[in-house]
Amino acid sequence: METFLEKIKDRISVNFELDRSSIDVERKRVDVQIKKEQIPSILRYLKENMNFRHLMHASVVDWLEEGKFEVLFMLWTPKEKIRVFVRTKLDRDNPVMENLDMIWPQLNTYEREFKEMYGIEFTGLVAPEEFILEDWEGPPPMRRDFDTEAYAKDVFSERIGREDAQDVRETIAKRSGEVIPDFAKKHSR
Amino acid sequence: MDYGIYQDKLTRIVTDIARSHSLWILAYGTGCGAIEVPATMTSRYDAERLGVRGAATPRQADVLMITGYLTVKTLKRVIRVYEQMQDPKYVIGFGSCAVNGGMYWDSYNTIKQLDLYLPVDVYISGCMPRPEAVLEGFAKLQEQIRAGEARGATKYKDNLDYYRGNQKKIIKNWDFPDYNW
Amino acid sequence: MKRERATTLYFGPQHPGITGNMMIRLKVEGDTIVKATTEVGYLHRAFEKLVEKRNWVQSFTLMCRFCVPEPDPVENTYARAVEMIAGIEIPERAKWIRVLILELARMSSLLLWHAGQGHSLGLYTMGQWSVGDRNYILDLFEELTGARIYHMYVWPGGVRKDFPEGFEDRVLKVMDYFENKLPDYDNLLFENSIFQKRTQGVGIVNPEQIIEHGVVGQPLRAAGIKSDIRIDDSYEVYDKLKFDIPTQTGSDIWARALVRRAELRESISIIRQVIGKIPKGDFNVKLPNPQKWTIPAGDAFARAESVRGEVGMYLVSDGGNKPRRAHFRGAAYVHAVSLLEDVLVGANIADVSAIMNSLGTCPPEIER
Repeated sequence: METFLEKIKDRISVNFELDRSSIDVERKRVDVQIKKEQIPSILRYLKENMNFRHLMHASVVDWLEEGKFEVLFMLWTPKEKIRVFVRTKLDRDNPVMENLDMIWPQLNTYEREFKEMYGIEFTGLVAPEEFILEDWEGPPPMRRDFDTEAYAKDVFSERIGREDAQDVRETIAKRSGEVIPDFAKKHSR
Repeated sequence: MDYGIYQDKLTRIVTDIARSHSLWILAYGTGCGAIEVPATMTSRYDAERLGVRGAATPRQADVLMITGYLTVKTLKRVIRVYEQMQDPKYVIGFGSCAVNGGMYWDSYNTIKQLDLYLPVDVYISGCMPRPEAVLEGFAKLQEQIRAGEARGATKYKDNLDYYRGNQKKIIKNWDFPDYNW
Repeated sequence: MKRERATTLYFGPQHPGITGNMMIRLKVEGDTIVKATTEVGYLHRAFEKLVEKRNWVQSFTLMCRFCVPEPDPVENTYARAVEMIAGIEIPERAKWIRVLILELARMSSLLLWHAGQGHSLGLYTMGQWSVGDRNYILDLFEELTGARIYHMYVWPGGVRKDFPEGFEDRVLKVMDYFENKLPDYDNLLFENSIFQKRTQGVGIVNPEQIIEHGVVGQPLRAAGIKSDIRIDDSYEVYDKLKFDIPTQTGSDIWARALVRRAELRESISIIRQVIGKIPKGDFNVKLPNPQKWTIPAGDAFARAESVRGEVGMYLVSDGGNKPRRAHFRGAAYVHAVSLLEDVLVGANIADVSAIMNSLGTCPPEIER
């Protein structure tokens, strides 16, 4: 298995200039990192020439400390049962990428979500402006610097009675006059 | 002697009893609680013996069940649906996230306190509430109707400014028609 | 003068036929749909944001709420992703218990599908039977996990509780009950000529399109391709069990219905095998104090087969006590927007609900 994964990695690295690459034998996984300009060509190459037909998932991770968004595509081939993860890093201040939905049509849905949740711009994406949120005025909510708790406190009022974080078991026991045995006490809360 | 006053009272008692046995709930699964509604309606729990059954459209429904959390986007539709429903109408808040936000207490997209936006007659707590709890909620609502206490719709009309104010606070793009009751 | 003949219809969010809280904007000419636009987002609770604020064990309680009809595959993918990153080896018995609960969840979700598919075509009796019978499975869940719907049972490191005494016998009894009951379902639903006529040749999805969109599960199997994550990318102990992957070739609602019909029987057989083979031993490994539990940096993608297709969890740890990112791949995510819009074109208004049910559109896992 290890040699096989190495072979796939080598085949990719011959054709593309990789920033980083690794293999994981236990999870049958090849990891490659590449510049964002090469993403369409590498995905197309993997899909058409190396039989990675199935796009399992695509995702974005916000690395706030580095100032980067990591966009990754997870590919799988049913025949050899191998995963390839293609990653790229985008500049957090100006996240722009090329539209990819002609390679896999479901990427259209993913891109709409990433655009709304992270503010990543996909050049050439044809889709309605709004996807999940409606009339949203704040920053893209999945960015790590967006504080959901502060926003919720600010916009929605919370019902009184939640803030004191009382122990449910003790409160009910107090109300009903029940005596909590010692062994149960340490498990509560 | 004028019997009119007694007649009115008697009519009201009779209509309240009749209403309490014919609760048609609107088929609108606003949240995940909608999964226990089929179980409540079907053979084992059989809510229809209490007169509870589904209605397809808002204008024919009596009860609006808010099954769980309400996102801001859904809230707008729910208000619209509620205002289309005809009197008498009742609202049941279903699940702990309808009561106080539940586990979504810090989510930016769900409301935390349903009764700020709609007049709630009965809350059913739990995540998920069991069908037995749902049935008890209906029984409670029936009791309230018979006692003449389930006046949520009247409350909504009388305090429309209060509810509208709360609703407009979180719904940014307000494009509702103006109703006059 | 040419008159605009198309009318716009809003199918949902309040509609008795829609599978959950979502909306499809239909453009119809007469009774035929010429354009469909899906609008989702009515159920967006921002789970993935909340997970970043909770520690590893607190996050686990959110996981089952991603998808309402079948929460256990989501719990399972999360648990496996955490175990992969943290390098936890779980006991053998836990794996078998997980398979049992996954298959029970599968059955309960398939029964719910029976009800939905019958309901969407006006056959309300099916719902009375199958949702009523589903309670027997929920009773088993309740006995095992304490809850009917949200079990919070499969957690990192194994499962939360072992079987109560005599549980195996009760599972087998429920399976016996279903085996006796399934011929009745056949009589009511599958041999019903109205059901056959309304589903055969309706909602045909081109097999090429299914593969292109990455749709896995019944739509793919109904198009004649033998594919199942449980075998192709085996997890837990599915490789030690013998079961068949039913396929059909029609790729219409009827073919998908037949695949599901056969899968219900396969699930019963898997559950019987699990009960027969389950080993004795521990059911979980002890986890550290959840408040202080940190997991080394790394990422993992775990996938599982749910009734609607492949579900997956991409989990990233930055070495802290909270997930950096947990991104869930819903089975409906890949087809509910892009594929459904294509499939609905040319269908009748009355078939929209049946097509959605048959593809397994499930809004909570699309917007999360």
